[in-house]
Amino acid sequence: MTGSHLRQIASVGGLLVLWQLVVQTGKLSELFLPAPLSVLSSMWEMTRSGQLPWAVLVSLNRVVQGFVYGAVAGVVLGLLAGAVRWIEDVLDPWVAAVYPIPKSALFPLFLLWFGLGDASKIATIAIGVLFLVLVNTITGVKSINPVLLKAAQDLGASRLQVFTKVILPGALPNIFTGLRLGAGMALILVFITEIEATKAGLGFLLWEAFQLLDTTKVFAGVVTFGLLGVATTWLLQWLERVGCPWLQRSN
Amino acid sequence: MLVALRDVGKVWLIQRTGERVSALESITLDVAPGEFLVLLGPSGCGKSTLLQIIAGLEAPSSGEIRFPAAAPGATSNGKLTSMVFQDYALFPWRTVLGNIVFGPEVRRVTKSEREERARRLIDLVHLNGAERRYPHELSGGMRQRVALARALANDPQIVLFDEPLAALDAMTRRVLQDELLRIWGETGKTFVYVTHSLQEAVLLGSRIVLMTAHPGRIKQIVDVPLARPRHLTGRAEADMLDQLDDLLGEEVKRALVV
Repeated sequence: MTGSHLRQIASVGGLLVLWQLVVQTGKLSELFLPAPLSVLSSMWEMTRSGQLPWAVLVSLNRVVQGFVYGAVAGVVLGLLAGAVRWIEDVLDPWVAAVYPIPKSALFPLFLLWFGLGDASKIATIAIGVLFLVLVNTITGVKSINPVLLKAAQDLGASRLQVFTKVILPGALPNIFTGLRLGAGMALILVFITEIEATKAGLGFLLWEAFQLLDTTKVFAGVVTFGLLGVATTWLLQWLERVGCPWLQRSN
Repeated sequence: MLVALRDVGKVWLIQRTGERVSALESITLDVAPGEFLVLLGPSGCGKSTLLQIIAGLEAPSSGEIRFPAAAPGATSNGKLTSMVFQDYALFPWRTVLGNIVFGPEVRRVTKSEREERARRLIDLVHLNGAERRYPHELSGGMRQRVALARALANDPQIVLFDEPLAALDAMTRRVLQDELLRIWGETGKTFVYVTHSLQEAVLLGSRIVLMTAHPGRIKQIVDVPLARPRHLTGRAEADMLDQLDDLLGEEVKRALVV
């Protein structure tokens, strides 16, 4: 273990111990800042009762569905727009118009259209993911060195082969950037869409706890969201290592 | 004769200004089987454009290009030619082996056949042991060897080189010039080689096409009857250099004035 690692552990551990001590001496009310150990035991209780795993499962179902739909649409449209001029012309005004809208602002519309169930939440997440993946995929296609397209053509590749063997792998690093941003967006949107009009999910659990002023439980929800964020980041980093092995620095 | 260019011209349209720029004018040239033809000229003389026209990557604006020796129906994209690009143009996501087999792969050669071909080419260009590496893990000289092997993998009759050694350091360039000559001799293929270096032209070429700039025209075609291996310090080589230098000197000066 390096000195850098030790300092990082000391930083986190030190603050947690300090926090625990300050709350235990009664200088801070647990209503505002519950002690780390209280949060931990609350999470344990909710896990044993099944409440927390169920909430996570409900939210994950929405996140994964929304993410997959949005990502697949974003990658396909992005590759086509990047490679075919008229498709880009058709998509461009829509991207310009919808990209700047906070996707959470579309949720009320989706509630109207798709009802109170999972569909409206999945649609909101999918739209949020779609635009991030789309924009990054287009950037990826545009960033491909044109001489590589020429080389592929010179070596005898058909238009379809240029697409699958040059444009797709060439855009892959940017696609992964889009997916990583999209995953973060999906977690934000699942929380926002679970505040209202639902009776299940991690966002619902957190918001309900807030309304009951159960701050410990709020913290438990926040920490769980954090863990989900870390898990998705790891998963996507792993996927990127498998998908883009040429990007790894050689030692 | 492998390629016959008759009165070929190329005009570029500059879209921003609507200006028409003549890159090549009245190029008439035959490429003979087995020769090492060097296109030599200052920058802006259209030699790369000429190479792209031979490769079928650009169409001439006027004139005619024919491939008399090719099988009936074969176009230049029927893999009569293969190009080695100046900046290598290797696919960063493919290993050395993956780059070399790209041509046979898209042309649907069976896996065992293309790997057999790749193995022979890796031997030929001395890349043994580097098969699994990615381009960014290679030196410039090794990248150019991969680019050459990749071009040869399609078994073209003509290999086109667009200033392939321009980005390399002098030592590596010297080594690769000898390698190119060895491979040219071993494969018996026709090489068409673009350079702006007089020395390189004299070291490599069996014929040198001297080009002028603005617009690109052929000024003179010079036979190089010198024995190989050649040395720039040799008497005959020095004379040839002087001769070319005089011809090109005029040209470069004129290009600067214009």
